[in-house]
Amino acid sequence: MEIIEKVKDEGLQAIQNCTDSKELNQLKVTYLGKKGPVQALMAQMKDLSNEEKPKFGAEVNQLKQLLANAIDEKAKALEEMEMVKKLESEKIDITLPPIETKLGTLHPLTVVQQEIEDLFIGMGYQVAEGPEVEIDEYNFTRANTPEGHPARDMQDTFYIDPTTLLRTQTTAIQMRVLDTAKGKLPIKVICPGKVYRRDDDDATHSHQFTQMEGLVVGENITLADLKGTLQFMADAMFGEGRLLRFRPSYFPFTEPSVEVDVSCHVCQGKGCNVCKQTGWIEVLGAGMVHPNVLEMAGFDSKKCSGFAFGAGIERIAMLKYGIDDIRNFYTNDVRFLKNFNRFD
Amino acid sequence: MKVSYNWLNTYVSLEGVTPEKLADVLTNAGLEVEGIEYQASGTNLVIGYVLEKKPHPDSDHLNVCQVDLGDGIPTQIVCGAPNVDAGQKVIVAKVGAKLPGGEIKATKVRGQESNGMICALFELGVDKKMLREDQIEGIEILPEDAPLGCEDPLGYLGLNDAILDVKQTPNRADFMAMWSVAMETGAILNREVHLPDYDVISDKGIEPTLKIASATENCPVFLGRIINKVKVGPSPKWMSDHLHAAGIKSINNVVDISNYVMLETGQPLHFYDLAKMPHREITVVDDVDMTMTALDGVEYEIKKGDLLITTGGQPTGVAGIMGGDDSKIDEETTGIIIESALFNALSIRSTARRLGLNTEACSRFIKGLEPQAQIKGMKRAVQLLQEYADADGIEELVQIGEINKELTKVTETLEHINKHLGTEFKLDEVVDILQRLNLQPVVNGITISMTIPSYRTDLAIPEDIDEEVIRLLGYDRLPDALPTMTATCGKLTPKQKLRRTAQSVLSGLGLREIETYTLVSDRYIQDSVMPLGETVVLASPMSEERKNVRQSLFSTMLECLSYNQARKIEDVNLFEISSVYSKDQETQKLGIVMSGNLQSSRLHHIQNPSDFYNAKGVLMALLKKLGYDENRIYFKENTVDTDHFHPYRSAAIYLGKELLGILGQIHPLMQKKYSCSSCIYAEINLDCILKAKASKVKFVPLDRYPSVKRDIALVMDKDVTAEKLLEIIKKTDRHMIRNVEVFDVYEGEHIESTKKSIALSVTYQSDHTLTDMEVNEVHEKMLENLRNECNALLRV
Repeated sequence: MEIIEKVKDEGLQAIQNCTDSKELNQLKVTYLGKKGPVQALMAQMKDLSNEEKPKFGAEVNQLKQLLANAIDEKAKALEEMEMVKKLESEKIDITLPPIETKLGTLHPLTVVQQEIEDLFIGMGYQVAEGPEVEIDEYNFTRANTPEGHPARDMQDTFYIDPTTLLRTQTTAIQMRVLDTAKGKLPIKVICPGKVYRRDDDDATHSHQFTQMEGLVVGENITLADLKGTLQFMADAMFGEGRLLRFRPSYFPFTEPSVEVDVSCHVCQGKGCNVCKQTGWIEVLGAGMVHPNVLEMAGFDSKKCSGFAFGAGIERIAMLKYGIDDIRNFYTNDVRFLKNFNRFD
Repeated sequence: MKVSYNWLNTYVSLEGVTPEKLADVLTNAGLEVEGIEYQASGTNLVIGYVLEKKPHPDSDHLNVCQVDLGDGIPTQIVCGAPNVDAGQKVIVAKVGAKLPGGEIKATKVRGQESNGMICALFELGVDKKMLREDQIEGIEILPEDAPLGCEDPLGYLGLNDAILDVKQTPNRADFMAMWSVAMETGAILNREVHLPDYDVISDKGIEPTLKIASATENCPVFLGRIINKVKVGPSPKWMSDHLHAAGIKSINNVVDISNYVMLETGQPLHFYDLAKMPHREITVVDDVDMTMTALDGVEYEIKKGDLLITTGGQPTGVAGIMGGDDSKIDEETTGIIIESALFNALSIRSTARRLGLNTEACSRFIKGLEPQAQIKGMKRAVQLLQEYADADGIEELVQIGEINKELTKVTETLEHINKHLGTEFKLDEVVDILQRLNLQPVVNGITISMTIPSYRTDLAIPEDIDEEVIRLLGYDRLPDALPTMTATCGKLTPKQKLRRTAQSVLSGLGLREIETYTLVSDRYIQDSVMPLGETVVLASPMSEERKNVRQSLFSTMLECLSYNQARKIEDVNLFEISSVYSKDQETQKLGIVMSGNLQSSRLHHIQNPSDFYNAKGVLMALLKKLGYDENRIYFKENTVDTDHFHPYRSAAIYLGKELLGILGQIHPLMQKKYSCSSCIYAEINLDCILKAKASKVKFVPLDRYPSVKRDIALVMDKDVTAEKLLEIIKKTDRHMIRNVEVFDVYEGEHIESTKKSIALSVTYQSDHTLTDMEVNEVHEKMLENLRNECNALLRV
């Protein structure tokens, strides 16, 4: 009996002290193998009386089981420990720079244009486009600006021949839309596009720039409808809560005509450099479609009315992002383009 | 137009309305004031009296003056003006005065104390253009009776005016007349307007001796009148002050009256010295080529089409722009001919532009005169000449052409106004506005009838009246609403969708979108990839650089690459989508430029170069996204354009049989021309894609049985293309051969110098689990085909 206790104590101690799985395997062989103490105890059985045998046998078996369990447990513990060690050895510096997934960018003019397009598409507008090499008829005459009209300053237009030109305004698209509609109502479009004027390029002028105009024609369209519509646009462009201010103006194709100022998004109307201390920034021209324009396109101006508005995409982008030179848009310095990876 | 505050105040009381406030209300009513300019400025000014002048001991041009500033005590001031003298009344800026040039301080000038400054007018901010030579060279010498000690010398001189710079819209040409500005101001401020009553002047007079004729329809109306006696002298002070404020130099009463009436009425007038006119006859012609000397002493070349005033067959003025030197008014003038005529705006514009002249007169003709301007101008001129130039011997008016005196009538209803504007204005407030605007509204039942004054040429239809009503009642009364109409579907067209997809795919793959100019030089237009046809050329370009409408994005995109590379930016991967044009075509193109790397990291040992194959991958990704898979896209040897592309590193891309575009490394010569590194350029015709039908998205059941992969290495002649190889393999069994992957291309050691080796992995699959035998059969057939069709042998 004492021997059993001794083997047990020694065995458990040895297992407990064991630190790696190889040694543990060795212990398993040492204690539970054919030449081990447990087997030796089993061999002693034959010398015992029949009364003693069962008890002794049971105790040796118990010892064997105990040691086997202890070895298994230890094995598991060692395995876990080794896993921990292995993981530890695999540690990386997570603060090292990543393999950069380089996203490209959309041009800032595209970003602003798409944002406005999406706003109006959501309100049921379609996006209309037209040729940049345009005929005089759509660019001017249909827009109630016949030949000799003071608003039609030759100096401003790139003519190709007496009847063809580079469009000076996306109003030409509106005129095409009206023409194509052949008197069918309603019309709800926005018209983005490149336009061209004889301007020397400098910080605020560009011979090429981008406009976005809108046109709605239906029964009972009012100037108040225009104001409500532009409120959406102003909020989308410069943030919620913009105030609008209409000032009388003149465009040949609208009557009444207005300039639309939006309360400054930088100072919230208190006055700052961006708004030249006025609290307002001029961003839109707009008005009610002139009856002559409707009539020329085959609409009965007694039965329908419409509003139109327009803005310069560059100007909106410049105001929004604080860009101080319009030429940046066309120089395409990668360091400039990098800034415009999203709309905000 | 420059509007003098003081002048305006003589027509309509501006009491309690500062120039700033006036600018504000005018702007809000549509007459935009772009700036306010004060004629002269300065604080701490006083009228002083020079008691004594002594030469400065240490200077040959300075004087030491003792000046009485009104307090009887001599103040010492050092003055450098050559014209300063004892006994003069002068303007003194006292110590502490703030002048446009800075603040006046007590100082010592070469050892002599100086406590102030005796001023010249330009030192107080008066425009030198308005001053005589002696006023610019010296101090201002005031009249002897100037009030000593007066602290408002600017007011005393009539230099206390504020000038509003008014920007007029093309529809309001009438704002070139002070009377019209006054009427408008009165309407806005709701104050009475008092204009001179010129109508009392009769057209009758002594027997006319003047003959007028016009040989051109570009001078439809000409009013002339001879005043046999005038007395030339200085103008009344108010008149020269007003002219001065408007930026016109005062010359003498007669000349000033012609200018003054133009500013009042908008009608440019011309006065001829009667004695210098060889004949009492004026003919307007526009069919001569000649040179003539105008009022400014400059010789101008007159060409056919220019309107010319002649007398006795000799020129005496460029009509509507500038009079001739020969007949100009001077101190000796004792009688005049008055011209008040209408000249065609387009004709005047083209002559003025060619001669480089932009006078007050011609700008008024160009912007357009009101129908009755000639009458107003003539009558008012006679009136002022009688009052201020002792006009006598006034002959009866001579006129050619008819003046339309009929006034426009417009009928409007309150309902139309409110329906058009979306407002709820009341009848009485609307009528009040119309009255203030002098439209003489008469309400009859639901209609409001109006008679439009002649100067409001912009008012003709009810919508015009709507604008008048709301701009004066105020846009702040306009409510917010939204259109109520049949619902419409907001959506993009297929073309727009395609553009958006391309933008999102390409930017997602790491390319940056750019926008370059449409107009390019001759040098650039030569480099059009896939040109469309005859170039669209501007009739009169501003420069050689911006002359042609581009047909391709090649030049401007390479220019952009070069710009960025010059700034040491290495990875430049760009795309642009734009319409391009020829004389008979418009199409939308996509351009791609790739150089450097798409992705790279030295740290992580990764490099993804912007090379041909990467660009090909980018294009394929885009085309797949658009619904065109490999089976329909072919990359063929580029025989289309080897001028801009490397002939052996570029491909023509076909969608079916249609040429979509070209992709490849640019030609070394292009590298040189655009000063850029080697790069990949691709140009795709997006409209071409639109014409081909995209494949439908369709679910194909997943394979349920395992596939079998076999790797092979083949040796073949160098000129056998990968495409050819794949085609032979696939066609062997289109059902079982599901995929072929090229995983290695090798040339060099162990391979004959004319051969190359290509390693492929072929995937077999079917609707059941394939047996070795089945695979072997197809595999052997495939090898046989390769052997027979392109002499590709298994590498041993």
